[in-house]
Amino acid sequence: MKVHHADITTAMRTPADSPSGQEPSSEVNGASSGDAGRESRLVVELKGIRKSFGSVEVLHGVDLEVHAGEHVVIFGPSGSGKSTLLRTINLLEEPNAGSVRVLGVEYGPGVPGERVEKRGGPLQLRRHVGMVFQQFNLFPHLSALHNIALALRSVRGLGRRAAEEKAAHSLRQVGLLRFAAHYPGELSGGQQQRVAIARALSLDPEVMLFDEPTSALDPELVGEVLAVMRVLAESGMTMVIVTHELNFAREIGDFNVFMDEGLVVESGPRGFFESCSNARTRQFMEAVL
Amino acid sequence: MSLVANYDWSLIWENKGDLLRGLLVAIEVAGVALVISVALGLVLALLRLGKPPVSWLAAIYVNVFRGVPALVSVIWVYFGWSLVVGISFTVFQAGVIALTLLYSAFISEIYRAALQAIPKGQREAGLALGMHPVRIFVRVTLPQATKIAIPNIGSMFIGMIKDTSTFTVIGLLELVRVTQNLNSTTFQPFVLYTAAAGLYVVAAFAFDFLFRAIEKTLTTPPSGGIARATAGRRRRRIELVMKDVEALSGKT
Repeated sequence: MKVHHADITTAMRTPADSPSGQEPSSEVNGASSGDAGRESRLVVELKGIRKSFGSVEVLHGVDLEVHAGEHVVIFGPSGSGKSTLLRTINLLEEPNAGSVRVLGVEYGPGVPGERVEKRGGPLQLRRHVGMVFQQFNLFPHLSALHNIALALRSVRGLGRRAAEEKAAHSLRQVGLLRFAAHYPGELSGGQQQRVAIARALSLDPEVMLFDEPTSALDPELVGEVLAVMRVLAESGMTMVIVTHELNFAREIGDFNVFMDEGLVVESGPRGFFESCSNARTRQFMEAVL
Repeated sequence: MSLVANYDWSLIWENKGDLLRGLLVAIEVAGVALVISVALGLVLALLRLGKPPVSWLAAIYVNVFRGVPALVSVIWVYFGWSLVVGISFTVFQAGVIALTLLYSAFISEIYRAALQAIPKGQREAGLALGMHPVRIFVRVTLPQATKIAIPNIGSMFIGMIKDTSTFTVIGLLELVRVTQNLNSTTFQPFVLYTAAAGLYVVAAFAFDFLFRAIEKTLTTPPSGGIARATAGRRRRRIELVMKDVEALSGKT
């Protein structure tokens, strides 16, 4: 069905073409990291990301690698740049410098001196990357079903009927099919966020970005959203999650990244929450957990 | 002669056809001008929200024409343009152009405020989904902004109908001109102008009602009579899709 992306995706899947073969596996500012079992296909590769708002630089050269099927959790205090970093992956924030590679295609300004074989525009990039926002950002003037159907019609070019059916399937995946005709204003925060997840998923992304998906929710509604994310994670979806839910992060994170003041302080695989050694990381965890 | 006898109220009923035709002309001129003003106003709002120097030009246009009275505008268009540029308009055309010049400026400000009121997360959600920015504007931003703008556009339209009264100076046969003509033969200004005023008020009420009805259908979920009439069909459609998907997933 998706003939036009299939060629890109399969090309990326061939090991010879995969950048991960040539890359040294160590990353993130020389911080301690265990890369055991992280040699599968690279989906997202950020290198030397710098981002300024006006005269204030909020990211001072950050690296991040996300492999297929991996669940990367980014956490850290407010203003540490974690959301901004996440938003550079789909170019909602354009980095001032650095490389944004998704499935081997360069979408950012690039790293000086490095050869770029394929370069793509934001529309192409966003076909592969789904995103879920803190504030859900559903379209309030459309029903749950048509929030999803609009995306399918606009981006996948489906006809009205086909889009509605695929949208209904997506709603069923998050357990909200019976709310298809409801407007966002008639749904609880948790339900709205689940519709938002269904909307992003309906487009069959290669990777899903979650920007504090439970931070705007009443505590009692957090669970249902995390449950949907858990199922998604178990299905093998590649995920990058910015969150303050450290217990969830500990449970789901294959790779954990602690950021502070626009830099990655420390990162590591499963067990990171027990094994992290940096004083700033420990201080943050003790304050939160 | 008693005071009452001086006022021949039956004149209104006898000339109801002419008076209503006058009102209709006023509504027609204002209606055509409204459609063009909304389109032009939206373009101006977008230009003004854009980058300089185009945004400055739009700002100058808005600030100039918001300040011109309808009477001056129509004289300028009808007599001025024909003298200088050599284009002569019919009185109807001149009226529409005069109103459009003024009200596109007002409506651009209404739309500018409405567009700015849409949270930026809406556009970001569309971008993150991979939608084209133009498509996001048409399907996401504009419908929500229009909902905000509709009540103010309704007020503008009532103002436009009233402003057509000044077009009597170019001889447009709108309500005031009709009233003047009747007065010149019957010498009953109090009766006739009372009737004219009453008709303007009735028109204002009617269009206020109409715009409220439109506003209601734009709320989410839609409410009001128009929405109730169409909601059933929409809902059945969604339910049909829901049933299909349930059935399909039941089999597999």
